[in-house]
Amino acid sequence: MFSRVRSAFMNVVGGIEPVVGMKDVDGPSDERDRHRHLPHKFPYTRPHFLQLHTEEEIAVTADHHIRPIIVPRDINVMPWSAGYAEAVNAGKSMLNEDQACIHRGLLTRQDRNSSDSHKAPSLPYVYFGIFDGHAGSGAAVAAANQLHHIIHEKLVDIIDHLIPPVVQMEKSSRSGLSFFFPGKEVSKESLITGALESAFWDMDQLIGEDKLKYKVNGGCTALAALFIDGKLYVANAGDSRAVLVRHSRSQPMSYDFTPESERQRVRRLAALQPELLGNEYTHLDYCQRPVQKDIGKRILYRDWYMTGWGYKTVTPSDLKLPVVHGEGKRSRVLATIGVTRGFGDHELKALYSNIPIKPFLLCQPEVKVLHVDDEEEWSEEDVLIMGTDGLWDVTSNERVAEIITKSFKQFPQDENRNKYRYTSAAQDLVMSSRGKLTERNWRTSEGKSATIDDISVFVIPIVDYKRDHSAWLEQNKALREQISANMNSINSNVVVERAVHNGHPQDEEEEVSLESVMNGDDEIDTSAPLRLELQ
Amino acid sequence: MSYAYLFKYIIIGDTGVGKSCLLLQFTDKRFQPVHDLTIGVEFGARMITIDGKQIKLQIWDTAGQEAFRSITRSYYRGAAGALLVYDITRRDTFNHLTTWLEDARQHSNSNMVIMLIGNKSDLEGRREVKREEGEAFAREHGLIFMETSAKTAANVEEAFINTAKEVYEKIQEGVFDINNEANGIKIGPQHSPTNPSLPSGGQGGMQGGGCC
Repeated sequence: MFSRVRSAFMNVVGGIEPVVGMKDVDGPSDERDRHRHLPHKFPYTRPHFLQLHTEEEIAVTADHHIRPIIVPRDINVMPWSAGYAEAVNAGKSMLNEDQACIHRGLLTRQDRNSSDSHKAPSLPYVYFGIFDGHAGSGAAVAAANQLHHIIHEKLVDIIDHLIPPVVQMEKSSRSGLSFFFPGKEVSKESLITGALESAFWDMDQLIGEDKLKYKVNGGCTALAALFIDGKLYVANAGDSRAVLVRHSRSQPMSYDFTPESERQRVRRLAALQPELLGNEYTHLDYCQRPVQKDIGKRILYRDWYMTGWGYKTVTPSDLKLPVVHGEGKRSRVLATIGVTRGFGDHELKALYSNIPIKPFLLCQPEVKVLHVDDEEEWSEEDVLIMGTDGLWDVTSNERVAEIITKSFKQFPQDENRNKYRYTSAAQDLVMSSRGKLTERNWRTSEGKSATIDDISVFVIPIVDYKRDHSAWLEQNKALREQISANMNSINSNVVVERAVHNGHPQDEEEEVSLESVMNGDDEIDTSAPLRLELQ
Repeated sequence: MSYAYLFKYIIIGDTGVGKSCLLLQFTDKRFQPVHDLTIGVEFGARMITIDGKQIKLQIWDTAGQEAFRSITRSYYRGAAGALLVYDITRRDTFNHLTTWLEDARQHSNSNMVIMLIGNKSDLEGRREVKREEGEAFAREHGLIFMETSAKTAANVEEAFINTAKEVYEKIQEGVFDINNEANGIKIGPQHSPTNPSLPSGGQGGMQGGGCC
């Protein structure tokens, strides 16, 4: 029923189709050779809001000796003067494999009766995405270019929940909606969460499909923040992280998905589908990995359904490598990959073997919701921090809160310069994790090892969204009142006639009659019943 | 375009002395009277010729604000030349030169060529720092000196090119280790002494990697 809206959207974004079904990307080696010659769907670049226009400028940002901290050239392109800063890795890959995207979207109701689209009720939203690529930048670049379009499409699908038809406003919107969507009451929150989850799925499917037609190498983590309908939705798949800094204290807004944190999920899958292990790995975990001479001895182990340890007697099959091996940052699935959620990696094989890794990876995000529109006050210093693991490996949540607080305090109190404070704070965070080059090593100001990874950070003020949302609520209310007043004055005669015809009681208010007309009709379009009546 | 050498420069000095405008005048030959605050770094590049050789200048323009000082410091190390800028109409920007110079000497490699620049020479009527004072400061600290105007372009070319000449001479004298890119000098592809097909610098980047 929303096909009209959707096709209009498709024309705008150039036709992103949800991909159904995945073909096998693992072909013979000549096929992989062919892959090398495929064209790029999207050229490599840096995030659009940095406004780096030439290849030379992009090359300069990837100076591995200097690792410059890059910030947006024009702060005015950033919603709410949100801060962003990035630094390239210290030489582990030629290019910065992190990517980021910002998108200001507008969901507009395309009611037939509101011919003037400027006067149609609409809902604005703001999206921030951050993607940490590995084994190439293709998947991260693809996600930075497309995920927001897919999310938009998913939001359009639920537009009737987000922006109910104007006539519905006359009565409680709840009873109106239950007519359209009978049965279980579903909250807007769970619909937006669902939109994000299905968008992540489609994004991964799309990358899989594109790997057949284009050169889209590697995989990436995905962390998206969506400010919509007075709330902040944070969807995370991977080891990037979002943290809310409020009253100078940190509060996690996402959970890191790594081989270590998902040990149990991965091992359970391995236990249930041992064929995925290619007879080379085991789903068991050992306190200490057994070797040949341990066969027959007792050893501490745990199965996938255990968090504690137990004893078993070592058999030859225990000499296989555990499916998740290593601790902390060094933990790997199939001895190859250090991240368990995100997009891409469809063709990835375990090192030194032919075992596909993709079955162990998920694109499913965990979505957390923050009620920005609640009663609580937000200050200018309350921010959402989004960062790739380059930031968090060195700088802890608590330390990030300290740096942010200090950065805001130190920033010159000057009205003209105030808008730069979030950029400056983002820069300070990158600086904290990148450190300085001393001799041949990058070290933090405390002399500890700094990260050699790419670092990308957003610092997003919350209060500005709250302000925007309150202003929108006012405008939206006024607009809806105006539209329904216009509709009533044009159509009231018709409606009352029909109400009489249907034998409805006359002593109720006019608006109620209007809705009962609606209820008597199968059409969703708000203008349709009126037109029917005129025939 | 191919070049014999690439020199990295850094521009430093107090906020509002005209660092970004000097860069813009040199790279784009234009003047922008109202310039937004520089946060972190900006960069520009231009090709010049010295001794019949093509030399590419890659110039890093830094934030002058105190709040960004620790970040600015991290860019000294990779530079072969520095333009230290003050504003001849603001005495305090001249008074701060010692601090800037200490910073630069401490965090850069010892061979970095430093050019002292008194900018805004077009505003003669508002001059607070005499030309002689600038010259004396430069002499005392072993710097080259020029007064420039980013607005009229007076001496802007010369400032960048004279600094490059000094760096070039030091290369000829064998003072710079040109094989260490951390010194802010990179040998161009046409000039590579060993294997011209290798990416210069040899920073252990992915061989033929990346997606483009």
